[in-house]
Amino acid sequence: MSAAAAPVAAPPRNDLLGWITSTDHKRIGILYLTTSLGYFFIAGALALVIRTQLAHPNATVVSAHAYAQLFTLHGTAMIFLFVAPFALGLANFLIPLQIGAPDMAFPRLNALSYWLFLFGGLVIFAGAATNEGAAATGWTAYAPLSAIKVSTGLGQDMWIIGVFLVSVATILTSINFITTVFIYRAPGMTMWRIPIFTWEMVATSLLVFMAFPALAADLLLLFVDRHLGGHAFDPAHGGNAILWQHLFWFFGHPEVYVMILPYFGVISEIIPVFSRKPIFGYTGLVISAFAIAGLSMGVWAHHMFTTGAVNNPFFSFVSFLIAVPTGVKFFNWIATMWRGSISFQTPMLFSIGFLMNFLLGGITGVMVASPPIDFQAQDSYFVVAHMHYVLGGGSLFAIFAALFFWWPKMFGVKLYEGLGTWCFWLLFVGFNVTFFPMHLLGLEGMPRRVFTYADQGQLPALNMIATLGSYVMLAGVLVFAWNVVASTLKREPVGADPWRANSLEWWTTSPPPEHNFDTLPAIRSERPVFDAHHPDVAARTPR
Amino acid sequence: MMIGLRLFISSAVFAIAIAIAYWLVAHEIVGTFLLGFMACALIFVAGYMIVAESEANLHGDRDDAKVSDGAGELVGTFTTRSPLPIWTALAVTCIGLGLVISPTLAGLGAIAVLVLGAFYIVQSR
Repeated sequence: MSAAAAPVAAPPRNDLLGWITSTDHKRIGILYLTTSLGYFFIAGALALVIRTQLAHPNATVVSAHAYAQLFTLHGTAMIFLFVAPFALGLANFLIPLQIGAPDMAFPRLNALSYWLFLFGGLVIFAGAATNEGAAATGWTAYAPLSAIKVSTGLGQDMWIIGVFLVSVATILTSINFITTVFIYRAPGMTMWRIPIFTWEMVATSLLVFMAFPALAADLLLLFVDRHLGGHAFDPAHGGNAILWQHLFWFFGHPEVYVMILPYFGVISEIIPVFSRKPIFGYTGLVISAFAIAGLSMGVWAHHMFTTGAVNNPFFSFVSFLIAVPTGVKFFNWIATMWRGSISFQTPMLFSIGFLMNFLLGGITGVMVASPPIDFQAQDSYFVVAHMHYVLGGGSLFAIFAALFFWWPKMFGVKLYEGLGTWCFWLLFVGFNVTFFPMHLLGLEGMPRRVFTYADQGQLPALNMIATLGSYVMLAGVLVFAWNVVASTLKREPVGADPWRANSLEWWTTSPPPEHNFDTLPAIRSERPVFDAHHPDVAARTPR
Repeated sequence: MMIGLRLFISSAVFAIAIAIAYWLVAHEIVGTFLLGFMACALIFVAGYMIVAESEANLHGDRDDAKVSDGAGELVGTFTTRSPLPIWTALAVTCIGLGLVISPTLAGLGAIAVLVLGAFYIVQSR
């Protein structure tokens, strides 16, 4: 592409019709991001009701059945509708910009994926309006709990349909990402020069391609069992209930990495910028991403240790192995910061928060990868704490880091630093006050997914602390919302590169034009914008 | 393209290796089949890339390519607006919901998908 190759003649429409018919990757990315944030607010509100119910023993804020619906919708929304789709939105916005492409490879397919995701989510929530309410089988929907004899309501069917639509949307998007990165890189943007975030999205897309079909098949089988006389999960007629768990976790554990690999990419983009250094170990970061992706396909049954139906040593060993490439990444991030000129602006604060929280989640992950410990921790609040440290303390903090970092590129204005710092500390303190006590609750024997508990031991005090922490987190989210409103109303425009960053998206205007780039710099390293701004340094850097 | 091809081939080799290792260690058929299907999917993509894309000469693959090398008509072929995706998603959602609520709704959704498919073909010409 050259300066004269701007491909679009008509300016984009800014009205509602312009947005819903747009196939521009940036608009679809922003639609994904706002929709997933909307689902996050709903899922967060459900979590607050859950925590309010658990604040005191024997509380009656909600009934047992309503509580089951609440944690099902909370888990489903956070996993299927927020953490993973937010990464898809971010990648939609960023990948073509980072590789110097004018759009995604399949723009209409891209738009279709978004709308399937939106409607899938709405169908899941619409289940709450049916006679028996929403699905109440947890986000894992284990058979036979999800069979028609037990879960008779229409809400469970709508959950199946909704999750199926979302999974198809995710597969389509992933194919789009892989094709775009392989085919549409700008001249000189070789694969070993693409930013780490884009690499992580390639690994994520590969994971989706391998894992999500198992979920789709699982949901189809469940639907056939419920409505077409199938018996795939019915042992009384030759089926096997454990089959659901195999298929579900064959998707479910890679899904954990679908929800974390993109955010490894986010952190890998932010830390070098705020350390004023190039990323340490670019190749190591790329290889470790694919090592994590590959190994994650071989660990699904560590969620099934206690069934007695799987080979525990095999899955335990492979689960331990994943800690190695993850450790490589941590080493690279710390080495990037080492002796750097670090500035603690909001994206960096959230990145450091990510490192601290995710480290704790990773360590407890290694613990429960050991079957003897898992037999004690299974279905207890210890596991709840572990997964929230990975996906809340890890992914959520990286999401806020990404929002603060790329907000100027998306909307042309910066979010306020002061409010950003308040947002970080409220979320960091609130998060740890909420979820650290859950480790202790688990060790005290409190099972997950119960709507109340006995007034004994440390359970009431620890639950009250966790509930107070959740309201501190709410304050952090409200500060973020206020930051968005205030900075949008004040509207102080920023330039193309407000952070003095490295990758290609910072070359174009903020926000970018519909065709992305009017000009492109020469691409001779993974930091083309830095090279263009500092040709003397670039000339001295060995390639 | 070569790196992409290598990525899929190495992933396929890994999938075959782990499927064999899993069978030898666990003798468990569901997991072995899942890993085997995963290997088949990866082999399919790698095979497609070998057959259809091995001759691809992309400017993005060349270390020394200049920005001007990518200039030309091909850059300007992207759709920027289409009403078809949202209608297709609505139609597919109708099919899904219709399966549990009303066969009529599912039928209408299926007809809409066929009509929209025709529009896609027309719009692509």
